[in-house]
Amino acid sequence: MMKMSSLLSFSAIWLTALSLPVTAQAQAQTDFTADVPILQEEAANAGINQSYTGGWEFFVGGGAASFDCNGDRLPDLVIAGGSSPAQFYVNESQTGGALAFKTLDTGLEAEDLTGILGAYPLDIDNDRHMDLVLLRLGRNLVLKGGADCKFEKANRSFSIDGGRAWSTAMSAIWEKGNEFPTIAIGNYVDRSAPGTPFGTCEPNQLLRSRPGETPDYSEPLTLEPGYCALSVLFTDWNRTGRPDLRITNDRQYYRGGEEQLWDMAEGRAPRLYSSSQGWQRLTIWGMGIAETDFDADGLPEYALTSMGDTKIQKLDDEAGEDRPTYRDIAFEKGATAHRPYTGGDAKPSTGWHSQFADINNDTKTDLFIAKGNVQAMPDFASFDPDNLLLGGFDDSFHEKGMEAGIALNTRGRGAIVEDFNMDGMLDLFVVNREHPASLFRNLGAATDWGHRALGNWVKIELDNGKINPAAVGSLISVRTGTRTQTRRIQVGGGHASGQTGFVHVGLGVSERATIRVQWPDGEWSHPYRVFANQHVRIIRGEANARYWYPVAQ
Amino acid sequence: MISVNRMPGVASLALVLGLQIGSAGSVLADEPWAERTQALGASEDMPTGVLPKDELLRLIDTGKALFEAHFTTLDGVGRPQATQAIDPTRRKHPREQVFFRTAGPDAGSCAACHNQPAIGGAGDFVANVFASEGFESADFDSLDPQFSSERGTNHLFGAGLVELLAREMSAELQAIRGDVLSQARAGGAAVRLPLEAKGVEFGYISAEPDGSVNLDELDGVDTDLVIRPFTQKGVMTSLRQFSINALNQHHGMQASERFGARWTGSDDFDGDGKTAEISSADVSALVSWQATLPAPVRMVPEAAGWAEAAERGEASFTDFGCTVCHRPALPLETLSFADPGPFDLAGTLNDGQVGAKAVYDISLLNWAKDLPRDAEGRVLVPLFGDLKRHVMTDNQIDALGNELLSQRFVDRNIFQTAELWGVGSTQPYGHRNDFSTLNEIILAHGGNGREARDAYAAAPDAEKSALIAFLKTLVIVP
Repeated sequence: MMKMSSLLSFSAIWLTALSLPVTAQAQAQTDFTADVPILQEEAANAGINQSYTGGWEFFVGGGAASFDCNGDRLPDLVIAGGSSPAQFYVNESQTGGALAFKTLDTGLEAEDLTGILGAYPLDIDNDRHMDLVLLRLGRNLVLKGGADCKFEKANRSFSIDGGRAWSTAMSAIWEKGNEFPTIAIGNYVDRSAPGTPFGTCEPNQLLRSRPGETPDYSEPLTLEPGYCALSVLFTDWNRTGRPDLRITNDRQYYRGGEEQLWDMAEGRAPRLYSSSQGWQRLTIWGMGIAETDFDADGLPEYALTSMGDTKIQKLDDEAGEDRPTYRDIAFEKGATAHRPYTGGDAKPSTGWHSQFADINNDTKTDLFIAKGNVQAMPDFASFDPDNLLLGGFDDSFHEKGMEAGIALNTRGRGAIVEDFNMDGMLDLFVVNREHPASLFRNLGAATDWGHRALGNWVKIELDNGKINPAAVGSLISVRTGTRTQTRRIQVGGGHASGQTGFVHVGLGVSERATIRVQWPDGEWSHPYRVFANQHVRIIRGEANARYWYPVAQ
Repeated sequence: MISVNRMPGVASLALVLGLQIGSAGSVLADEPWAERTQALGASEDMPTGVLPKDELLRLIDTGKALFEAHFTTLDGVGRPQATQAIDPTRRKHPREQVFFRTAGPDAGSCAACHNQPAIGGAGDFVANVFASEGFESADFDSLDPQFSSERGTNHLFGAGLVELLAREMSAELQAIRGDVLSQARAGGAAVRLPLEAKGVEFGYISAEPDGSVNLDELDGVDTDLVIRPFTQKGVMTSLRQFSINALNQHHGMQASERFGARWTGSDDFDGDGKTAEISSADVSALVSWQATLPAPVRMVPEAAGWAEAAERGEASFTDFGCTVCHRPALPLETLSFADPGPFDLAGTLNDGQVGAKAVYDISLLNWAKDLPRDAEGRVLVPLFGDLKRHVMTDNQIDALGNELLSQRFVDRNIFQTAELWGVGSTQPYGHRNDFSTLNEIILAHGGNGREARDAYAAAPDAEKSALIAFLKTLVIVP
């Protein structure tokens, strides 16, 4: 993230970015033949009215959490408000119908819900009720979830101090043998340090629970140096089964900093991968991390949002095994998304939340990027619409935000790509700075008679048992014909936004799929045979998958 | 002089060849002798609404012409760069030959196999096909069953009624699923209900209060509770889906609604130089013809004693327990055949993928007037089947367990009950067409058919003979 605009060095990058990818983008517009989903904005009608507001501390952040808080499996929402209190919404959408949410009064003090930048759902105590980690300007708040969307403050019961930092990022994973999750907290600028804000990045934190029957995070570790993190993600980048911690950092405020990858090897303190190990120095205005695995080889790719070019990092084949050396394939895939695709503003874009998903159910991976000027930075696009980069059969991305209907004049921040009305087509929620949040319903593809459904899909929910019931860290492999698609269940990444619930996979014209699961402890399941267009529940140890159905209307 | 005279000649020839090669589909396509199928594209748009009889008959004629057509390379026959798979799948190495007996394309025409005793009918052993998923072993060139399952060609007479029955049964089963979920949610406890449609039992379904459904006790039906009534295995939902699959597998004629640019990024996915080979309107025409083929009938040959034997045989058919699976008739509520239908998924058009569906009123057709009805006015479709899958082998009787590959989640020894209407016109028998007599195929029934088979085997020869006499009265009269 960048607050100031005196960027001579950046202008060179900008010019380079502007000159190179234009051809690729123009070419990318020509050959897209799959469905373009029509995303209809209906936040107000759906009952959602929440803006992310505040001074420069809230130029960053602006996240949301999507999770089921009342047991009906419909994704509910918590939306950060910055200087305004966060809002909770219960999902009352009809299956396949208009989106509808109802405001939830949690009974929590407005003071506790104010100053929130981001939110991540996580079942910390394994009780099958999602808890919430609310990232704040100041003491982070942990809410223990209960039945029927009841929440209570749990910093004390979980022995989580919450600190006093300006927290902007979070990720969690169940490390091997641990009953409770390890939580990484990404922090931004230390506002109390001399010389702040430049060169005064707050260290990040690692919370490991002490052994015991209840979560006890009373002995946090410091991950130092911190370089003003805006997104963190536990990721198994080299398919070892042991995730490391990737952090994207905002070069605006660090000095001598870079992107980071922490080695989370067992039995020793985390340590940064170094250049001698293959980690190459990269300095960007890192805002968000998204993970996918285009070719399902177990070696994930990452989208890193920034100002100007978006990066898509792929492990360099020539770097040698187990060396975290990446090359940027964003240009060759037509996904730099470096400036607005409509509106005529030729200045560079500012990217925030990024998320891979199959939004048109054609089996090709799509990429959503929330865009928006930091506040009023003159060197960057003022009208900076969110990107909907649809993956084409040419293995390139094609910008379809305009056609889809998401090219609004808002300053996007965090986002959730989720099927809110359980029709198998992914909808989109975007938190906007100083503007009501956007909620887009996926209507399907436009035709001359209305909208038609997109391709086939399957949505999968895992049950890992007593510990880590939501199976965070699992890998889901979905096979149709000769194609394999994978999804990793993760908590973290994006921009200050997290989600849990069914994992969506587009199936195109496939009528059925075979699913295998690599559970968090590394064990592979037997194959589960399922039919398309079903919500599937896979319970560890059961022979057959179950299906789930929303309440009939 | 010679060279001067020849040059224009060569140029003219080149010009002619150029025209033929470059635009044969357009310049010469309408000539009566053009080597292409005139019926392709004859229906410009998909039909919509309830078709009046004259329109329906015209559409049926087009469909019949397509079914009988010998597709050519000018039509797009062949798929050098695509496999026979139902999911669009590229071949690893392009194939030079248009036709290939095992992995296909193995026929230029639907009617090349479906012709016994008339077009739309079954096929003899020579018309067997080889079912393979076309993913890992797409290029198999062996008859070894580890690569493919050899199958006889089924007849299509009465197929429209079969699909209508399947749709109604699917709707019934899914309604039960809705009921069990409602009861579990309302009562806050697990509920288990029997699954039954048109009197055919499909096991049990259990629901939890949280909306989860346990599918462990299903019997003979897919987990989405869609009856798929076509093919020997019962794995195809509709005539539309079947047609699209078969057009690709057997002819390399690729329908746009599955293999077109929307789903593959190419209008020529099979790489034969022909784009948009089969339109959705073409598929509709093919479906209309198949869906309106007359139902098989009973006809007793004018031979002394046959009528009496058939009557006794029919009684034995019930007594032996054959009718447990080979139900003499299933009741059908409506003869309105909607196309596209309600249960197909993306890749085959369904009624949610089009602005308006077409409805073919089968009752307009003369043959339908003779269909029996019950007291409630429902048509009693005399199919002698249950549209359910059964295990057909056991430890002693395993002749029908000759396949080594499962197909679409259905184990290798499980098959859908063969509908016996028309069995008198469609020998040989069995899913591989390798039983030359009815007696042999009856005795090959193991598994779920074992009890009835044993009853037959234990019966006196005269009783067996009467049963054969009965079965031979179930014939196709086109």
